[in-house]
Amino acid sequence: MAWRRTILGLSGLAMGLLGTGATLNYFEEALPTTLNPLFAETMVDSRAQELVFDRLWYRDAITNELQSRVVKTHQVAEAGRAIKITLKEGITWHDGSSMTSKDLCFTVKSMLNRGTPSVVAAAYQEFVAGCETQGPSVALVRFRKVLPKPRERLGFHILPASQFSSTAISPDMEFSARPTGTGAYKGARTRREVIFDAQSNTHHSPSLMQLQLREGGDPLLQIRTLEGGEVQGIVVVPPGSRADLRASDEVTLKSYDLRSWWFIAVNTKNPALQDKRVRQALNLLIDRTELREYTIGVKPGDRNSPCEFISGPFVSVSPYYNRTIPTVPTANRAKADALLKAAGLTRIGGRWHLGEQPITLKIGMLANLNNEATDLLEQVGNQLGDAGFDRQTSKVSADEWSQEVVSGQSDFDLVIGKWSFGLVEAVGDLFHTNGRKNIFGYTDAGVDEFLNAYEDAVTDTEQKDAYHKLHARLADELPYLFLWKLDTKSAWRTEVRGNIITPYFYFTEIDSWKVVEN
Amino acid sequence: MLPLMVPAIITGLIWALPGDPASLICPPSRCSGTQALAERWNLDAGPFQFFVGWLRDALALNFGRSWSAFQGMDVGNLLAEAIPVSLMLVGLASLWIFTGVFGAATGWIHRRLDPLLQTSGMIPVLVLALVGAAIVDLTYGFGSSGQEGQMARIIIGSAVLGLADGAFAGAVAGTRGLFSSESRQRYVGVAILRGERELANTLPNVTPALVGQLRARLLHLLSGAVVVEVMLKINGIGDLLWAGTLEQDFGLVLGTATLFAVGSALLLVLQAMCEVAVALHVRRSPGVQAA
Repeated sequence: MAWRRTILGLSGLAMGLLGTGATLNYFEEALPTTLNPLFAETMVDSRAQELVFDRLWYRDAITNELQSRVVKTHQVAEAGRAIKITLKEGITWHDGSSMTSKDLCFTVKSMLNRGTPSVVAAAYQEFVAGCETQGPSVALVRFRKVLPKPRERLGFHILPASQFSSTAISPDMEFSARPTGTGAYKGARTRREVIFDAQSNTHHSPSLMQLQLREGGDPLLQIRTLEGGEVQGIVVVPPGSRADLRASDEVTLKSYDLRSWWFIAVNTKNPALQDKRVRQALNLLIDRTELREYTIGVKPGDRNSPCEFISGPFVSVSPYYNRTIPTVPTANRAKADALLKAAGLTRIGGRWHLGEQPITLKIGMLANLNNEATDLLEQVGNQLGDAGFDRQTSKVSADEWSQEVVSGQSDFDLVIGKWSFGLVEAVGDLFHTNGRKNIFGYTDAGVDEFLNAYEDAVTDTEQKDAYHKLHARLADELPYLFLWKLDTKSAWRTEVRGNIITPYFYFTEIDSWKVVEN
Repeated sequence: MLPLMVPAIITGLIWALPGDPASLICPPSRCSGTQALAERWNLDAGPFQFFVGWLRDALALNFGRSWSAFQGMDVGNLLAEAIPVSLMLVGLASLWIFTGVFGAATGWIHRRLDPLLQTSGMIPVLVLALVGAAIVDLTYGFGSSGQEGQMARIIIGSAVLGLADGAFAGAVAGTRGLFSSESRQRYVGVAILRGERELANTLPNVTPALVGQLRARLLHLLSGAVVVEVMLKINGIGDLLWAGTLEQDFGLVLGTATLFAVGSALLLVLQAMCEVAVALHVRRSPGVQAA
C-alpha cells in the first residue's frame, strides 16, 4: 500500500508540474470571513472552503449525479434511520495524517455539540442523531428519522479530529484562518488575500500550483486588470460590465448557476403593512419591467435576458417553482389604489395616510447589490413615491446586513436583498416563525404548516407539493415582494482551460482547471 | 493611566450596548447559540472579570484571536505586523512636519509661500487619500495588495498625511508664529545688537512650546493615520481598529486602541523629557557666542 501511495503522490506532483505550475489570480466579491466550513456565512466563504475541504457527497457539475471523493461504499442501515459509510483508504489531510472514520464521526459530533455555535451545524442537528466508528474506515451515521435519500442531505465538509481539542468548535480558532483539509488546496488567509497552495492526494491532482484570491473592489478596475492579464478571473461580473467583456477575444464569460433571487422583504409588524391588502397593493405598484430596464439595462422584449421575473421564493427552473402563480411584470395603479382604500388607507394631498398620519416607508438595500442593479434602491423609492408614499432610503453595509437585518434587529419597513441557494432550496429559515433568517419575524400558521410538511416529506413528490403550496401562499400573503432571478456570470481569461464551474460551490471540479499559454 | 483607562472605557461600552456582549460579537445570523462563546471569551461573568482577565493576558502579550474581523488570526501577530507599518507611515509623514518646523525656524521656507501652503493645506485628508488610493489601484492592479503595492500605499499615504488637513502648512505657520513673537522680545533685540544670532537666543525659550506643538501634531498624524490607512488599505493599526470596530471584534479593538493609548502616553513622556532637558539647558545658562 505504501508504494502505491508513493506512486500516486509522485504522479500527482508530476501532473502539477506538467500543468505549467501556474498561479491563478482571481478577484472575489470580498475576502472570505472564515475558512472553517462550520461558520460559512457568505457565498465567498462557501467557494473558498470548497478548495480546501471535501464534502461527504456532492453533485457532479455536469451529470448532476451524487458523487463522493471520500466515500468508497455506503449502505442504508437500521431500516433507513442510519447509513453505514466506508471511507476510501489512502486519503491524507494536508498535515500528512490519514483521514479515518474517526474524523467523520468527529465532524458529526462537533455539529451536534451545542458548544459549537454554528448555523450550518444547526441545520444538521435537526435530522442527524449521532455517529459511531466501526473500524478505521467505517462509520455509522444515525438519523433522528427515516431519511428517504440520506446522501442528498449529507453534504457537509469533513473536519480533522487531530486539529481540535474537543468537539466544541469556536469561530475564533486558528483553524478558521489556516485550516487543514483533504481538498485540493491548503488555504491560508492574510489581511488582504487568501493563498491556496496545491496539495496532491490520492483523490486530488490539481494542475494549478497556487491560487490567489483578492477582493475585487471597483468593477471597472477589475475589468481593466483582467484585460491587462494581471488577473485571470473575476468570479462575479455585474451585468453592466458584461458587454465590454463579451466583446473581448481574451476573456470568456461563463454562467455561474447560483439559484439566487431578489426580493423586497416587507415589515409585517409595521401597522401600515400588517394588512396583506397593503402588501398586495405594494406588489402591484412595483413596475418590475421598468425597474429591470433602468437598473440592469434589460429592455422589454430583449432576448436572452439575464433577468427573469419570479412570483415566489424559487427560481423558475426549480422543481419547487409553482408555475400556476403568475408574475407581476408591470404596475397596476388602479387595482393597487382599490386595495389600499379597502385596507382603510386614505389619500390626502396625494399622500397615503393611515388615520391622520402620512405613511413613510423606510427602505434599505444591501449596498453591494448596487453593483449588479445600479440605483435599484432609488428606483424603488421613486416608484413608491410616485404612488403616494413618503420614503427614506439608505444602503446597508454587508456587516449591518448580517448583524442587524438578517437577525431581525433593523428598523426598516422594506428591505431589498438577494438570497442564493444550491440545489437544496430550503427556505424554512426565511419564512418559518422560528426561522434563523426571518428578516422581520414574519409569522403565519399556513406558511409554517407547508414548511413543516416539506421537512417531514419522505418522497420528492411530497416535497414538491409542499413547496408548491408554500409558493402560492407566499404569493398571496406577500411577506416578500418577489422581484427576479438575475443570472450570475464569471469572467475568465481564455488561457484558463477546463474551468468547469459547479453550481453554488464553484470550485468543486478545480482539479481540471489549468492555465495554458495562448 | 491612559493605557489602562482606554481598555476600561471600551469594556464599559461593551456592556453599555444593548444586548449581551457575545450576541453583539456573533449575532444569531452567524452563531446559533452564544452561551459557549460567552464562556470561552470570558464575557459571562461581567465587565470587571472580563477586564481583569484581558489585562492579565495583555500584560503577558497574549491578546487572543480575532473573533470576527479576521476570524482565527492571532491579534498579537496582527498587531506585531501592523506596528512597523503604522510607524513607517507616521514616521514618513512626520518628516513633512519636521521639514516644516525646520524650514520655518531657519527661514528656509519663505513667508511668501505661506498663502500657497495654507491653500494646499485646506484639501481634506479624505479627498487626497481617495486620489492616492485610485493611483495605487490603477498602477498596481492585482498587485496593489501585495508587498510592492503596500509600499506604494505607505509612501503615498505618508504624503497625504503630511500635507492634508493643513498638517505641513500648520507646522510652518505655527513655528513661524512662535519664533516671530519670541523675536519681538526685548532680550532678543539686545542680543542681536550684541552681535549674537537670533535663533540661538530664541530657540531655548521657544523649545518647550515647540515640543508641545510637535506632540499635538504627531497626535494629529496618529489619528489621521486611521483615515489614511482605511482609505488606502494600508495594513496598519488604524485599519485594524476600523475593521475591529465595524465587525464589533472587541478583542481586536481593545488591543489596537490600547496600543494607540500607549503611543499617546509615550509622546507625553517624550514631551516631558524634552521640557526637562530644555529647562536643565537653560538653567546652565550656556554662553552664546557672538557672531
